[in-house]
Amino acid sequence: MHEDGIVKALSQRGVSRRDFLKFCTAMAATLALPSTFVPKIAEALEKKMKPAVIWLELSDCAGDTESMLRATKPTIADIVLDVISLEYHETIMAASGKAAEKSKNDVVKNLRGKYIAIVEGAIPMKDGGIYCTISGHSALDIAREVCGNAMATLAVGSCAAWGGIASADPNPTGCVGVKEAVPGATVVNLPGCPVNVENITATIVHFLTFGSLPALDARLRPLFGYGKRIHDNCERRMHFDAGQFVRKWGDEGARLGWCLYEMGCKGPEAYYNCPTIRWNAGTSWPVQAGHPCFACAADNNWDVMGPIYSRLPNVPGAGYQVKADQIGLGIAAVTGAGVAAHAIIRGIKGSKENSGKPGPEEERRKQDAKDRD
Amino acid sequence: MPKIVIDPITRIEGHLRIEAQVEGGKVTDAWSSGTMWRGIEIIVKNRDPREVWAFLSRI
Repeated sequence: MHEDGIVKALSQRGVSRRDFLKFCTAMAATLALPSTFVPKIAEALEKKMKPAVIWLELSDCAGDTESMLRATKPTIADIVLDVISLEYHETIMAASGKAAEKSKNDVVKNLRGKYIAIVEGAIPMKDGGIYCTISGHSALDIAREVCGNAMATLAVGSCAAWGGIASADPNPTGCVGVKEAVPGATVVNLPGCPVNVENITATIVHFLTFGSLPALDARLRPLFGYGKRIHDNCERRMHFDAGQFVRKWGDEGARLGWCLYEMGCKGPEAYYNCPTIRWNAGTSWPVQAGHPCFACAADNNWDVMGPIYSRLPNVPGAGYQVKADQIGLGIAAVTGAGVAAHAIIRGIKGSKENSGKPGPEEERRKQDAKDRD
Repeated sequence: MPKIVIDPITRIEGHLRIEAQVEGGKVTDAWSSGTMWRGIEIIVKNRDPREVWAFLSRI
């Protein structure tokens, strides 16, 4: 299967060159590359062979699989048949039992160091690894075998990256992420609950185009997907700055699409590209749908990000924290005076910036601006 | 008395193992096992009931 070039395979399935270039453009955008890279991506995909992929499901819920099955640009059929050569995936493969295991073992044996492993789900370490077994082997043994011999391993979803929900307190089965369980493996973490399939595809496309994995942060997450705070790309950010908050489900602020910080939004502490790539064919994401972000891509968000509906303490920059409490309330009450109030808030912020040291929020913004340059 | 073991059962969500005892061309006994357990029921104990949906939708 992996002998065919990607474009040849795509054209055989009726995907036009125009659609192919649109895909390359979307990938360049996801990777935060300028459009000048589109021809380079196209050229690489035209020449490269499809990489063989083993998709492992360990202590998982198949949520990342569900996410992948909903891929639209390209569709899952295009990905499975054309961009990669998916040799093993329990939820969608035809073979069962020994025949299924043979497909996996053949890839590990024949393509040692040349295939990509994708891992979904955590790895339970407690009691000899008995809490997840496939074909009589523990998840840990399987991960050691498959990830240890892979060219690279994509740990997709928060469970594979850091243990995720399975490792939430009290972590009954001793679950950890792939890198902790198999320290020798070359791992890229793509956390999220679930992972966004565009980040998986973009990582693979980056690899095919440049022959290397994308730039990673200290926690092995690609910067293109996890380098920006949700809060800084949030479409409701202006309401945070202006002190316009939803304070009760169904209140006027909720109807007007105001900031969800008071309702427990963890956007100020969450790093993920949800606001830009979105979900369900790019139509929406949790905050757009009116629910606070609960930092699903953060390490152990279930315990350290606090209750989902409790406000994060002391996030700097909220409209009311720049002595704008009354002004914020004023905006809520007196619509129509928006322009004037905005000018007042700007004035207050300006004087604050001029009079004192910059707060951590300003410093973070400056750092972000520097990083962008 | 051959015993048939199918593990993993694919095209389902979750991990399943089926064992069947065959005698004279007939299945005389069979066992099914879920081969993965995370203890979500233990994890949600004592948590705020309003957020338990987020855990349980990930079973």
